[in-house]
Amino acid sequence: MVGSKRHSGARRFVRYALAIVLLLIMVYPYLYMVLSSFADWSQIDKMLIPTKFTTRSYDWLFNGGDTGITRPWLHAFMNSIIVSISSTVLMMAFGVMVAYALAKLNFFGRNVINNFVLFHMFFPAIILLIPTFLIVQKVGLYDTYLGLILPKAVSLWAIFMYTNFFKAVPQVFIEAARLDGASDLKIMYRIMLPMSKSITTVIFLFLLMERWTELLWDMIAVKSDSMLTLNVLLSQMFGPYGSYPGPLYAASTILTLPIIIMFVAFSKKFKEGMQFNLK
Amino acid sequence: MEQRNNKLGWLFTSPYLIYSVVFFFVPLIWTFFLSITDWNMIKPKFNFVGISNFADALQSPNVHAAFWNTYRFMLIFVPLVTVLAIGVAVLVHGLSRFKGLFLIGFFLPYLSSGVVSALIVKGLLSYTSPINTALRGMGIDIDWLGTPFTALFIVGLILAWKFTGYYALIITSGLESIDKEVYEAAAIDGVKDGQRFWRITLPLLYPSLYTTLILAFGVTFGIFTEVYQLTGGGPGNATNTWQMEIFKQAFSNLQSGYASAVALLASVATFISIFIIRKLLEVWGKRNGWV
Repeated sequence: MVGSKRHSGARRFVRYALAIVLLLIMVYPYLYMVLSSFADWSQIDKMLIPTKFTTRSYDWLFNGGDTGITRPWLHAFMNSIIVSISSTVLMMAFGVMVAYALAKLNFFGRNVINNFVLFHMFFPAIILLIPTFLIVQKVGLYDTYLGLILPKAVSLWAIFMYTNFFKAVPQVFIEAARLDGASDLKIMYRIMLPMSKSITTVIFLFLLMERWTELLWDMIAVKSDSMLTLNVLLSQMFGPYGSYPGPLYAASTILTLPIIIMFVAFSKKFKEGMQFNLK
Repeated sequence: MEQRNNKLGWLFTSPYLIYSVVFFFVPLIWTFFLSITDWNMIKPKFNFVGISNFADALQSPNVHAAFWNTYRFMLIFVPLVTVLAIGVAVLVHGLSRFKGLFLIGFFLPYLSSGVVSALIVKGLLSYTSPINTALRGMGIDIDWLGTPFTALFIVGLILAWKFTGYYALIITSGLESIDKEVYEAAAIDGVKDGQRFWRITLPLLYPSLYTTLILAFGVTFGIFTEVYQLTGGGPGNATNTWQMEIFKQAFSNLQSGYASAVALLASVATFISIFIIRKLLEVWGKRNGWV
């Protein structure tokens, strides 16, 4: 071990330098997106790091510029928020309820339901796509918020994660709370949820991210401009705005920032939760 | 003796049970039904056509492309993302400070929408982009998205960019669970520094590697947004995927019967492939004595 101390300073420097360079390469596409959204239009897609900046792209996005086409992007942004928050909240709430029952309640049929969840998880969602669309259309939910939300109101993955977590909670806690006269809803809300804070953060962020960036379902479940989610609107803007990359980068920035902010705000809990659920 | 609580159990699971009837059972049966009809989504009338949708699908060059491209994407994406994720995990694990911060940084690409990453890649690879201008200066002129192999490679690269940080997180927690004493014992037994990674770290990492590999193989069966946005499945059929093909047939060509048959074939291909991959990984792990 002689000499390792002398080397360790240099070695550590190399490691950090390498990590920083690699990280910069990985986050560079985001940087490119944000910089391009503010870049002078003569420099967009012509320079890896633009030098002249303007807010023209955002102005176009808001006001349509000289095409005069105003797209309902602010409305789409609100739609994305409404749809992804409601979907995520439902997926979480149903996930907790089902998982609590499967992990902590002794009832007739529990094993059957438990096995069924595993069986259901096994199926690729793509086989259900066309009939799901037809069902939504038949019951009159085509082109409505509910049509966007309900087919994504249950997450098998959330049920699975919560069930595994709840199984690890000692039964004693629950028995004690029951003796004190707490109802099962109260036990879920007052004991299970606070205990599962970090794993809840992980589940919440993954579900929210997935719902926020969903393209396929959001694309086929609605038709009117007022129902578009931001991701779908951005996807459609590839066409008419094709020769105006600036506004596209601006819209992309607006689509990406909220989810990154959410994530960074919860990053500490997220890392704790990841470690738990992987061990 | 635990008390039984049937009412509450069924009450708490009822949202899921209702959901699975409406959005799983009914659609599942409906898919089978549609797949033997020629219904085109508009006309009220349809005919039963037996297995002819399946026969057509099995002969369709688009379906062949979707089938083979899944494995082509695997060949590009899985090794790339695995090496990158292990690299990132080992690198970050060796840092004494800011580990969490770095990991979060590497994870950020996972949050991007496929539409956004497709847009950025389109910008970076456009004909007048700085990258292409520089390459042309060196006499290299590539039409990235118009050439079958590079188009395929770029979609694989976007996916690797997206998933590296996520898998690195999984592998890092695998690394963290390896006891330091194992290394000390190995050093005493004469394992050299150069062999340490291959002979100790990698085998002990096998459980987390198994997880990431299964996840990564799974990703290749569900590629849609990047391809839809970037190439539309082209050039030719070079980047066509199962999801792309089903979407095109069902919602552009309105061939819901045929598309259902393709969807069923896609799931059979997925089932069998994942099953074989799992088995191979297990055999490989066992043969090396890693499990």
